[in-house]
Amino acid sequence: MDILAGLIQTAFLAGGVLALAALGEVLAERVGVVNLGVEGLIALGAMSAVATVVITPHPWLGFLVAMGVGLIAGMIFAVATVIIRANQVLCGLALTYMGMGLAATLGKPISGSPAPATFQDIHIPILSDLPFFGRAFFSHSLLVYLIFLVLPVALHVLIFHTRHGLNMRAVGENPAAADAAGISVMKMRFWYVSLGSALAAGAGGYLTLVFVPSWSEGVVAGRGWIAVALVIFAGFRPINAVLAGLLFGFVTALGFVGQAHNWPIAASILSMLPYLGTMALMIVPVLAWQRMRRLMAAPDSLTVPYFRDQR
Amino acid sequence: MSYRLQRMPVAAPSVLFSARVLSVILALLTAAAVLALSGKDPIALGGKVLSSTFGSRFGLEDLGLLFSPLLYCGLAVAVGLRIGAWNIGAEGQFNLGAFAATGVALFVPGPAWLLVPLMALAGMAGGALWILIPTLAKAYADVSELITTLLMNFVALLLVYWVATGPWLDPSGMALATTARLSVSVPYVWGIVHWGLPLALMLAVGLAVMFAYTRWGYEVRIGGANPGAAAYAGMPVQRHLILVMLMSGAIAGLGGMMEVAGTVGRLQGGISNNYGYLGIMVAVLARAAPLGVIATAFFMAVILNGGIVLQSQGLTTHTVLAITGLILFYAAIVDEVARYKLIPTTGEVTPKGAR
Repeated sequence: MDILAGLIQTAFLAGGVLALAALGEVLAERVGVVNLGVEGLIALGAMSAVATVVITPHPWLGFLVAMGVGLIAGMIFAVATVIIRANQVLCGLALTYMGMGLAATLGKPISGSPAPATFQDIHIPILSDLPFFGRAFFSHSLLVYLIFLVLPVALHVLIFHTRHGLNMRAVGENPAAADAAGISVMKMRFWYVSLGSALAAGAGGYLTLVFVPSWSEGVVAGRGWIAVALVIFAGFRPINAVLAGLLFGFVTALGFVGQAHNWPIAASILSMLPYLGTMALMIVPVLAWQRMRRLMAAPDSLTVPYFRDQR
Repeated sequence: MSYRLQRMPVAAPSVLFSARVLSVILALLTAAAVLALSGKDPIALGGKVLSSTFGSRFGLEDLGLLFSPLLYCGLAVAVGLRIGAWNIGAEGQFNLGAFAATGVALFVPGPAWLLVPLMALAGMAGGALWILIPTLAKAYADVSELITTLLMNFVALLLVYWVATGPWLDPSGMALATTARLSVSVPYVWGIVHWGLPLALMLAVGLAVMFAYTRWGYEVRIGGANPGAAAYAGMPVQRHLILVMLMSGAIAGLGGMMEVAGTVGRLQGGISNNYGYLGIMVAVLARAAPLGVIATAFFMAVILNGGIVLQSQGLTTHTVLAITGLILFYAAIVDEVARYKLIPTTGEVTPKGAR
């Protein structure tokens, strides 16, 4: 029982990175832009968050700086993909390389040392003291509740229950129609891609200020790519994306528990689980849930740049 | 007379070539500006890179050793791009090739003249095996190969790390995280440069000929440019896709075999050294043309060697990754901008599509 509570606790902790990054990618992909730079954005955010708390020990400041760096990087990406309308796959890969390379170069002096200030778990009266549930669900930092409760619900309402959300989805599905209806396709895409990038870099800040309290070059370890894959699996829906992130947090947690309890499997093999699991989640649903495909389909104009004179 | 901008469906090849060169120059200028801002002298550093790369035979031999894996990975990605498949997993296939070749060298007894070709075959099989699932998923379930091939990279890296520190660890106890030195190696052709390099160059020429002059190459190119039209014309697009992607994996795997059996001599974690990721840039800059890959892989080898030279100046090898990203970024932008053309407007007739 105690193992299970620890598993769930770690699942939230580890899944938060994927969930937040996936939420950012949902925003970008809903307006029709695929951002493959998530891995680089997480690296940038993770490094700048630690660099900030090294200078001044305020975790919230570190998190905000990470998001700010992500916003700027996202705006550069959006200038290239939305305004100049360059190839999104190439620009995304370039952003990943630049982010990882820049984070490793600038973060070299702080690489490997623990972050001097991190987010602390908040103690909720009564709830945190419950047996089992207290440890599994109510022993987390504020960010965990933000990522798993507040943000997904807010984004769900925004995307599916407001007029603005309808406009957003119109831009992703049929930009020509949205344009004709008087929605500025470029503005919508530019800001949601930038905002999504800020969330992805925020996931990096979460990674180094909550989950692994230290920056090093390999700390991101493909989480950005897993997040991109989760968005597809989640059918481009924020609540599903967070649940998928939690599922993968659980898979990651299994690896940790396995190591801690000396299961007779090598640590490297256990570390493969999230990647293999993502592969399975990408392939199996396509084969198994044919009827769900329409509901879970990608926005119609995903990766297609919009040229007004070619509609 | 006034002018207006018109976006063309494709840019002229000559414009595209200068666009590529321009993006590289822009990226190097940006990197130089960043270096200058951080208080380093970019011109002196550049001179140091060039002199230590081309100024001595040792430098040139080192360059050859970097050139070879970049060629294999660049060709692997380029071959995939020809049919419209993004093989982001060359890194993993490279590792698997090295892994499979090491397995043969460690556990199959035999003379070198038999073992080395056998290792090359094993390396190719390993690379192809590593892209098999993404290939089938793309061909039959339309699952994006971009992400599946990439995810397999992490699994491959972990696998190699695991065998090199666990089951296949050097039994002599001298090494901490590598296998024993392989008993056979790829023969040398020039100094420490082994036969992997000339073989890769021959492979590039062979592929260029295949794409340009055979029916298969023609069908693959059409299948990549317009799958619908290719299928309508009766070409077996799906069969070509599967074969081409497996080929792509096999080429990367062969690169891994050459690396472990020619350059490094033993299997260790991180043997792929980002070659697979750099290979993407090599292929993209070459516009997926095998002969172009020779030029861009050579250029990338110079940059990579520069990064190693500059490590003593406080830069990490990751700086090279950042510069690579910058080149890729500019290349994507300049590619799009190159499609625009200034057209004089006569004022009377508005051409179709203009506003």
